[in-house]
Amino acid sequence: MGVIRLGYVHVRVTDLEGSAEHYRNTLGMDQVTEEGGRLYLKSWDEHDHHSVVLEGGGVGLVKLGYKVATSADLDEFEQRATAFGAEVARMTKGDNVGVGDGLRITLPSDHVLELYSDVEYLGNATGTWNPDPWPREGLRGIGVPRLDHTLVTTEDPVLLERFFAEVLGFRTAERLVAGPDNDQLVGSWMFCGEQPHDIAFVKGAQGKLHHFAYHVDDWSSLLRAGDVFSMRDVPIDFGPARHGITRGETIYFFDPSGNRNEVFAGGYRTGPDFRTITWTMEKAAQGINYTHRELDPDFLNVVT
Amino acid sequence: MADSRASHAAVRILPADVRLTVLPGESVVDAVRRHGYRTRYSCRRGGCGTCKADLVDGEVRYRFPVAGSVLSDAERAAGKCLPCRAEPVGDIVIRLSGQDRLRRLFGSIDPASGRAG
Repeated sequence: MGVIRLGYVHVRVTDLEGSAEHYRNTLGMDQVTEEGGRLYLKSWDEHDHHSVVLEGGGVGLVKLGYKVATSADLDEFEQRATAFGAEVARMTKGDNVGVGDGLRITLPSDHVLELYSDVEYLGNATGTWNPDPWPREGLRGIGVPRLDHTLVTTEDPVLLERFFAEVLGFRTAERLVAGPDNDQLVGSWMFCGEQPHDIAFVKGAQGKLHHFAYHVDDWSSLLRAGDVFSMRDVPIDFGPARHGITRGETIYFFDPSGNRNEVFAGGYRTGPDFRTITWTMEKAAQGINYTHRELDPDFLNVVT
Repeated sequence: MADSRASHAAVRILPADVRLTVLPGESVVDAVRRHGYRTRYSCRRGGCGTCKADLVDGEVRYRFPVAGSVLSDAERAAGKCLPCRAEPVGDIVIRLSGQDRLRRLFGSIDPASGRAG
């Protein structure tokens, strides 16, 4: 029962050819199919049909897909989202290549969120019988194993946090708060499984994408990712560094259209009994960049 | 770094009034970086608008499309440009935004001559 994970991120890119090169050869994703001017890609350790969709024209987020456990969950979520006052529509098999029937919800933040349980199973690159730890034929570029989480912006973090908690059963791992009484919510990092976050949002413009992140194994893989970025002149935002929030390790970088990506390692384990951690604004720079305790003001402003 | 390759254009950057050569196929920001300077930019790929500046004189071209949400037609008409993606066609003059300034990357060492001061 419930939401399992971030399944796919569908983004717009001004430079489809350059972006395909970036996601395939710098990150190392495989192209599954191309249909209607959209490229569908998957990482080597992902099992479902795709995790990233690139669409030509503009920048920013088209929609996010989160996978739920059963089709009965969809009925439950439809009811709860409608009761919450969100705009909810049914999506049908084939709206997204490889993805079955589901729900399309317009979030209070104006982002489009799709929920589905039925998706074509392709399997990962190493299989399920006596598998190798990584594909023996090798990986391209960084060779990211999987998508991890996304961070978006919203004018009303309180409302969006309520939506994810009350409608979708997410829990809050960490909060960034402001004000003399520390009761003004600036950002929230929420999980549906046992990761530190599956979705996060900070105060900002409605409907914008701050970044989406890929998991990498460890600090050493992260540093190697940094080498790949330098070799290929991929613009870096910041990192490698430690996050205070989530305790993860990070490099932020940009795709060829200026959408921000992240490679993310580490982080602690959460769960239903996890107690929310709070960061105050006086320590917010440390919360975001624990190593440097400095933050370029453009880091939070720059969104697509 | 000595620029031995043939350049076809130059950018004059205001208000610092520094003139830098720009190689064929090179953006203004890439030229700034190659010459040992920095300006304000973030994504360097035309997606965020952090580097937005005034094109005071001359013409630029964009080899890669820039999203209308980042640089609108009205802004282009009003003389705004995105130096991270703009390639000069001949000599141009740009003025950095009030939040931006041309900075030397190597402190007191002059990036052109290598001399201090």
